[in-house]
Amino acid sequence: MTAIRKYREMSRTQRKEWMRELIINNSLYVFLIAAVVVIQFISPNFLSGPSIVNIISLSAANLPIALGIAGAIILTGTDLSAGRIVGLVACVSASLLQASGYPAKMFPNLPTMNFLLVFLIALAIGGIIGLINGFCTAKFNLHPFIVTLSTQLIVYGGLLMYLNIGNNNGQSISGLDPSYTSFITGSFISLGSTPIPNYVWYSLVITAIMWFVWNKTTFGKNMFAVGSNQEAANVSGVNVKRVIVLVFGLAGIMYGITGFIEAARIGSNSAATGLNYELDAIAAAVIGGVSFVGGIGKIRGVILGVVLLRLIFVGLTFLSIDANMQYIIKGLIILVACAIDMRKYLVRK
Amino acid sequence: MTNEILLEMKNISKSFPGVKALDNVSLKVRRGSVHALMGENGAGKSTLMKCLFGIYSKDTGKILLDGKEVSFKNPKEALESGVAMVHQELNQALKRNVMDNIWLGRYPRSFGFVTSEKRMYKDTKKIFDELDIKVDPRTLMSKMSVADRQMVEIAKAVSYHSKIIVLDEPTSSLTEQEVEHLFSIINMLRDRGCGIIYISHKMEEILRISDDITVMRDGAHIVTEPAKNFTMDRIIKLMVGRELGARFPENDAKIGEVVLEVRGLSSRHNAVDDVSFKVRRGEIVGLAGLAGAGRTEVIENIFGISERKAGKIFLHGREVKNRNAREAIKNGFALLTEERRSTGIFGILDLRENTTVSSLRKYRGLLGLISEGKRRKDTSWAMETMRVKAPSQRTKIRALSGGNQQKVILGRWLLTEPEVLMLDEPTRGIDVGAKFEIYKLIVELAKKGKAVIMVSGELPELLGVCNRICVMSGGRLVGEVDAKNTSQEEIMRLAAENA
Amino acid sequence: MFKKIMALCLACVMLSLSLASCGKRGEADVHVFYYTYSDTYISSVRSSLDKALDGAKISYQDYDGNGNQTTQTEQIQTAITKGAKLILVNIVNTGSDDAANGIVSLAKEKGIPVVFFNREVSDAVIKSYDKCAYIGTRAEEAGKLQGEMIGEYLRDNFEKVDLNGDGKISYIMFKGEEGNNEAIYRTQYSVEEANKILSAAGREKLSFYDKSNPNKYLVDRNGQWSAAAANEYMTTALTSYNEQNKNMIELVICNNDGMAQGAITALNSVGYNTGEGKMIPVFGVDATTAAQELIKGKKMAGTIKQDAEGMAEALRLVAENGLAGRSLVTGTEKYDVDSDVAKIRIAYSKYLG
Repeated sequence: MTAIRKYREMSRTQRKEWMRELIINNSLYVFLIAAVVVIQFISPNFLSGPSIVNIISLSAANLPIALGIAGAIILTGTDLSAGRIVGLVACVSASLLQASGYPAKMFPNLPTMNFLLVFLIALAIGGIIGLINGFCTAKFNLHPFIVTLSTQLIVYGGLLMYLNIGNNNGQSISGLDPSYTSFITGSFISLGSTPIPNYVWYSLVITAIMWFVWNKTTFGKNMFAVGSNQEAANVSGVNVKRVIVLVFGLAGIMYGITGFIEAARIGSNSAATGLNYELDAIAAAVIGGVSFVGGIGKIRGVILGVVLLRLIFVGLTFLSIDANMQYIIKGLIILVACAIDMRKYLVRK
Repeated sequence: MTNEILLEMKNISKSFPGVKALDNVSLKVRRGSVHALMGENGAGKSTLMKCLFGIYSKDTGKILLDGKEVSFKNPKEALESGVAMVHQELNQALKRNVMDNIWLGRYPRSFGFVTSEKRMYKDTKKIFDELDIKVDPRTLMSKMSVADRQMVEIAKAVSYHSKIIVLDEPTSSLTEQEVEHLFSIINMLRDRGCGIIYISHKMEEILRISDDITVMRDGAHIVTEPAKNFTMDRIIKLMVGRELGARFPENDAKIGEVVLEVRGLSSRHNAVDDVSFKVRRGEIVGLAGLAGAGRTEVIENIFGISERKAGKIFLHGREVKNRNAREAIKNGFALLTEERRSTGIFGILDLRENTTVSSLRKYRGLLGLISEGKRRKDTSWAMETMRVKAPSQRTKIRALSGGNQQKVILGRWLLTEPEVLMLDEPTRGIDVGAKFEIYKLIVELAKKGKAVIMVSGELPELLGVCNRICVMSGGRLVGEVDAKNTSQEEIMRLAAENA
Repeated sequence: MFKKIMALCLACVMLSLSLASCGKRGEADVHVFYYTYSDTYISSVRSSLDKALDGAKISYQDYDGNGNQTTQTEQIQTAITKGAKLILVNIVNTGSDDAANGIVSLAKEKGIPVVFFNREVSDAVIKSYDKCAYIGTRAEEAGKLQGEMIGEYLRDNFEKVDLNGDGKISYIMFKGEEGNNEAIYRTQYSVEEANKILSAAGREKLSFYDKSNPNKYLVDRNGQWSAAAANEYMTTALTSYNEQNKNMIELVICNNDGMAQGAITALNSVGYNTGEGKMIPVFGVDATTAAQELIKGKKMAGTIKQDAEGMAEALRLVAENGLAGRSLVTGTEKYDVDSDVAKIRIAYSKYLG
C-alpha cells in the first residue's frame, strides 16, 4: 500500500526514474519473460506440457551442483573440481549398479547392490573430495582456485584409472540396473500426459534442505559472515577454518548427488561425463546474484540462474539458432547479469 | 601578480536523491596558511572535498584556483593542477616500494620508454631530504609504519608541486612524536606558500596548527574565522549546534573483587613481553603507550587471536587458556577491535546478522534451526540498550555512521554476556557527539559489573573515562597510574622514557 | 614443521608413483601418443595395442594428449629427446597439416619412423618423409557404411518406421564435433548413402525433423561426442516433436555410439526403445560393448564396427618393421593399402547384432 501511495506522490520524472530502476534491477526477470514470449511466439510448442517438464527436469539435474558451488563463491572462492567430481561419482555409481547379467559388466562378480547404499557411497566420495578441497584451502591458506585446479586434475586421473579396472578397458559404463534408473528417471506424477521424472522431486527436496542450511542454521550464518569479512568473523568467535572445510564438504556432497542422478539420467558414463559442468554451475550462480565479492547470495537466485541457462539452451534449440550463437548469447547474458547485479552494491555518485 | 586567496570554493551545492548534502558552502584558503575544516561526520566536509576533486560533480557553484576557474574531472587532473589529497585511508600499492608509489603513473623515462630507477631514486631522495623524511626510497611500503606511509603520501603531493594539500584525519594513527614531525612538515609547506586544508576531529591539534578554522554543520557553512578566536568549547558548540556538557560522563561505578588477572604474558610473534596486571569488577583500566608499544597486541593475546609464548590468564582465580577467539568468548571475554571496517563489521550484512553473529548458539532450536523471533528480540534489545539509530534491523550496517556501527558491535558483545570487555580504540573515527555516547555506554557497562580494558592513543579520553591507566612501552608494562591523580605529561614521560 | 612433513610425504608419494608407472618398463623404444584417454574407442585401441606390444616384447610408453595439440606436441618433443626409436601418433589436430608437419620434422631430425593412426593426416604429410605411414580407416567409409545400413533397414521396414504415414522419414542427426573430418564425413555420407538406396526403392528422401535448422545436424558444443549432449538435445526435441503432434522423429543417426546411447536414454524416458513396444531406429558408429548390448536388447538398430584389435595388430606389425629398419609397409599385403601413399586402411564392418 505504501508503495502505491509513494508512487502517487511522485512527479512525472520521478516516476519515469522509478520505472527505469525497477526494470533495470529486475532485468533478469524482464529478460526471462521477454525471452519466453518471443520464443513462444515463433515456436508455439515451447510452452506445451512436455516442453515445460523438459525445462524443469534439465534445470533440476543441474541445480544441486550449482547450489554446491554457490557456497564456495559466497566464501569468495570458486570450485573448478565440481565437474570432474560429478564425472567420477557418476562412473562409480554406474559401475556399482550395472544390471546383473549385463555381459559387459565392469565387476562381473558384483552382486546387485542396493541403490540407496550406492547413493551413500556417492555422497561419501563427493563429500570426502570436497572436504579435502576445504581442508587444503583452510589449512594452507590457499585460494580455492589453486586447490581445486589441482584436485580437479587428481580426480580426473583417478577417474581414468578407475575406468580401466575390472574388465572395462576404458569403455563407457552403461547397462544400469532397472531399480536404479527407475528410481531416478521413473515417474509417479505426470503433468498432463507428460511424466515428471523423479529426480525433479529429489532436486526440490535438496534445494529445500539447502535453503534451511543457508538461512536457518548457525553454519549458514557463519558461512555468510566468513564470506563477508573473514577477519571479523574470526574475532567474533566463528571457527573460520571449520566453516571453510564444511562449505566445501557440503559442496562435494552436492556434486555427489548430481553425479548419482547424472549417471542414470544419461545412461552412458565415460571420462567425459561432467566435463565443464562447473563452468555452467558458476555461471548460473553468478547470474543469480551470488557475488564473487563474497557474503552475497540467495537460493532463489541460484534457481533463477539455473533455469535461465537451461531456458536459453532449450529456447535456442527451439529457434534452431546456430550452436555457435549459443556461446555468444550465454556470454553476453552472464556479463550483463553481473554488471546489473554489481550496480546494487556500488555507491551511487 | 599573486593572489592572496589561493583556492576559493564559491556557493557550492550538491544534492543526492533525498538529501541536500551541501547547501551553498563557500571556502577560502589563503596562500601560506593552514585552514582547518571541522564538523561532525556527515556535516559535508568530505562531500565538499569530493566536489573539489571531481569525484562528485557539484550542482551549482564555482571553484577558483589562483583566480582561475577550474573544474576537475577526477583526482588525477586535480593533482596535475597542483591540488593534492592525503587520504585518511591510504590508497597505496603496498607490495611496491616507496619511489614506485611516488612516481606511479609518471615514471621518469630514459630513451622514451625505459623507466629510470636512478632518476626516480635521486628525485625521491631530494624531496625526502627537504621534508626531513628519513626513509630509504627503496623500502617496501608494506614494511613501513602508517606514519611513514603518510609521509610518503605527503612527499608525493610535494613532488607534484602541489599548491593545495588536503590532509584528511592525518594523525588518527600517529604517535605524539610522529604528529610532531608531521606538524613540522606542515609548517615547512606553509612557509613555502602552500595552502593546507586540514580535516580532523582532534581539537587540540587543530587549535595548535591552524591559522583559520571553518566549521560546517549539516551540509552548511557555519563560520570561518582566524583560529585564535576559537576555544575548544566554542568549536564543539558550533559543530554540534548545541551546548555540550562535560566531554566525559561521570564514572561512579562500584569497584569490586579482581575478575581478571594476567601473569607474565609474552607473545610469540610480536612485542608483548612479560606483561602482568589485574582488573577488578566495575573497573575501567586504560592501556596507554606510543604506537608500537604493544597495547593492541596485549589484548589480542588475551583474546587468543595471536599466539602466546608464556604467561597465564586467570578469571576469578581460575586459569583460562583462551587458545582462540571461540574459547575466549566462551570464557566470557569480548574484544572490540581497532580496525572497525576490516575486522569489526560485516559491511554487506544487516544489523541483525551483525548483532547476533557471536551468539548464534543461543538461538538454536529444533533440529539446530535458528529461531528468527528470538534473534529479532535480542537485536532490538541490543539496539535499544546501545541507543543505535537505524531505520530497521534489516538495514545493512555499512549504511550507518561510524558511531552507530561501533554501538552495534558493542551490542554484539553484550549479547555474549561477557565478564571482561576489551575495547581497542573504541572512538576512532567517530563524531564528537557520538564519542560521548560511547563513553557513557562504557561507563554503564562498568556499572553493570564488567571488567573493562580500554586501549586508546588519545590520552584525554583515557584520563576522562578510566579508573587506572597502565602505560606500555616496547611490549612491556612500564608504569601504572591512577587516572584521577595524573596528567598527560606524566604518562607521556613514562611511555617515552622507557622506549 | 607440519608443512615440511607434508611436503616430504607428498614428494615420497610422487616419487613412488612415478617409479611405479615407468619402473617396470625401463626406457621404452616405442612411444604411443593418444589424442585423449577419455575416448572409449581409443581406450579399446590402447588396451589392444598394449597387449599386442607386450606380446611382441616391444617396450613402449603411452601418453594422453588430453585433446590438446600443444600438450601432445610437447610430449612428442620430450619423448624424442629421451631417445624414442619409433613413435605412434594419434594426432589431436586433424583440421590442418601444420601440427602433423611439425611432428614429422621433429622425427626427421633424429631419423626415427613416425606412424600416424586413427585420426587421418593428409597424403602430403606422409609423402614428405620416407619413414612415415598412416594406419586408419577411410574417413568416409564409416559414414557410407552407416548410410547403407540405414538405407537397407528403412527399405525393409519403411511402413513400420514411418509412424505418421506421410511417406517420409523424419530424422535427427547428432554430430560429435565441429571441424573434425570423421564427424563431417559421417554426418554427410550417412544421409547421402541412405537416400541413394531409398531413391532406388522408389521412396522419398530423408527429411530433417526441424525444417528451420539449415545445418541439418545438432553438434556437441564441447566437441566431446558426448552422450550427455545428445541426451539433452533429444529430450528437448521430443517435447515438441512427438506422436501427439504427428511429427515424431522417426530415425536417429549419431556420429558415435556414445551419442546414440544418450539419445536412447532420452527415448526411454518417453517410453520408446525399452526393448518392448515401439522402437525408433537409432544408428551409431564404433560398436562399443554397450552398443552391442543395446542392439541385442532391440533398443538400438545398428552400428558400424571399427576394429580396434585389427588396428592394434597393424600398428604392431608396422612398429616391428620400423624397429627392424625395414620399410614400414613390409608385409601389409593383407590390408587395403592406398596405391600411391603409405596409408593402410582397416576395414569397417556393419554391426546389426
